[in-house]
Amino acid sequence: MNPDGTLVRLEGVNKWFGENHVLRDVDLAVNPQDVLVLIGPSGSGKSTLLRTVNLLEEPQEGSVTFEGQDITDVRVDLDDVRADIGIVFQAFNLFPHMTALRNVTIALRKVLRLGDAEAVERAREQLDHVGLAEKADSYPSQLSGGQQQRVAIARALAMRPKLMLFDEVTSALDPELVQEVLDVMQGLASEGMTMVVVTHEMGFAREVGNRMIFMDEGRILEEGKPREMFAEPQHERTQLFLSRIL
Amino acid sequence: MKSRGERLREWLAGQTTLSLVGLLVGSAALVLVFAGTLIVITIRGWRPDESILMAIGSGEQTAVLFGSIALGAAAAVLGYSIYRRMPTKPSRKAAISGAALGVQAVVAAGLLLLVRSGENFAFLVRQNLRFEVLDGFFGQFVTAVKNTVLLAFFGELGGIVIGLILAMMALSAHAVVRAPARAYINFFRGTPLLWQLSFFYLTLLGLGLGQTVSVYQVAVFIFALNAGAYVAEVFRAGIQSIERGQMEAARSLGMTYFQAMRYAILPQAIRRVIPPLTNEFIILIKDTSLVSVLGLTANQRELLSWARDLYQEAFNATPWLAAAAGYLVVTLPMIRVVNWLERKLRSGLVGVGA
Repeated sequence: MNPDGTLVRLEGVNKWFGENHVLRDVDLAVNPQDVLVLIGPSGSGKSTLLRTVNLLEEPQEGSVTFEGQDITDVRVDLDDVRADIGIVFQAFNLFPHMTALRNVTIALRKVLRLGDAEAVERAREQLDHVGLAEKADSYPSQLSGGQQQRVAIARALAMRPKLMLFDEVTSALDPELVQEVLDVMQGLASEGMTMVVVTHEMGFAREVGNRMIFMDEGRILEEGKPREMFAEPQHERTQLFLSRIL
Repeated sequence: MKSRGERLREWLAGQTTLSLVGLLVGSAALVLVFAGTLIVITIRGWRPDESILMAIGSGEQTAVLFGSIALGAAAAVLGYSIYRRMPTKPSRKAAISGAALGVQAVVAAGLLLLVRSGENFAFLVRQNLRFEVLDGFFGQFVTAVKNTVLLAFFGELGGIVIGLILAMMALSAHAVVRAPARAYINFFRGTPLLWQLSFFYLTLLGLGLGQTVSVYQVAVFIFALNAGAYVAEVFRAGIQSIERGQMEAARSLGMTYFQAMRYAILPQAIRRVIPPLTNEFIILIKDTSLVSVLGLTANQRELLSWARDLYQEAFNATPWLAAAAGYLVVTLPMIRVVNWLERKLRSGLVGVGA
């Protein structure tokens, strides 16, 4: 936790891809046990913002503070920081040459340096948690998209992260497989996990999120409680966006 | 899955009389050129070379060649004139195949006729088909094949080690790490292997290593240096072909760059580069012939050196033909392996299983 009680604090973050100004003066605080939902049109910078939190994207300006240290400082050991922040991707990004079990244990053994027995035990626990205990020995190509994504969640959770990032994790899934992933995420939220979620699932945002941010053109335009924002969006851009997707 | 018999019956049912006749005549023409010639020679005997000469000049051989030209031409004309009118796909295919086989037979027989009528045909046969020259040298031939394979194998093995290191360097984010790798790769890709062999051999001798290492070891070393440059490019392409998300996933779990490479990226990249690496190996097998410039002792010789020495001894070129056969014995199976691996990789099966 940061001295001010937040878990993550972004201040004055600016990011350019070449000429393209994708994050503009973004300030953001994530408090412990927040389920913070980021919404906005595609290209609005919400995924880039999410990926800035574990520094997969490095901002050119501004600071990202996690556990009391500015992790944009080159002296910080990013590998240590990232071991504490789980992230789940749109494209799953499971390691295709490893079984589900080994996908989960590999970082436990190589990063956390757990013994084999302990790593396997922890991995099985997590696979069980996402309802895939019996798929431990399957390769990713033998699993459905929803199952792969749940393995990816188990892989991140097994590290016992202090924060979980979800980057449009249901966007690549067939419609009938979306719910099983959302259920896992909802369960996680109810256990008190701190989560930042980029999503187009407005039902999930409303039911599970406790804070919501609307982004457009690299800026945070509006923030509030999801139910209030859905009921009465303040910004005209938010109104337009919500009216189009709801 | 249909059985072979079922497929054959289906195929036959799709044929017409004309399409079958075309296919049969075309096949017969091509079989006649090759089998006929071999039979005519075999009846007279493959040695001495004079009997081969007589067989090819004989009236029987003339009959074989003109016979296949006649059959082949007939098949070609028939096939091309009927294939548009064939009622089914198999019959159309058979008509076209018959025509193509006929054309091949005409070309093959025509070439043989042309060569046979050449002024120096007798010299050609005596130079290349005097098999008695090889008598008593089979043991040497086998040793030469073995040396060829060993040179290429250890050269490639060393090349893989060097290439992997170079590839990692070439992919570094730091220009000062990339630069030496690029310089090395460009140098070894940009100069002839023959030059490298001579230059580094003399350099190593100049360093006083001539007493402690054999020419053979020096050659393997230089092959490894050279192969390293090519293998580096293969590995670099293989590593870059792995989706960026794999590196991101590994780094997000807290792995260092090298852990991510070792556990996530390289195992996948290596699978993808097996076909191009095998191709490299096939090229190296043939390039081992260049060590003949270094002067090897009798039992170190690879195929080409062996053939050259025997050629100079016997003053007959038949050993060159034997050398070509030796290379093919090694490379043909490897080519099949590459094709098989590429098919397997394309079908995505290689992704499964550790």
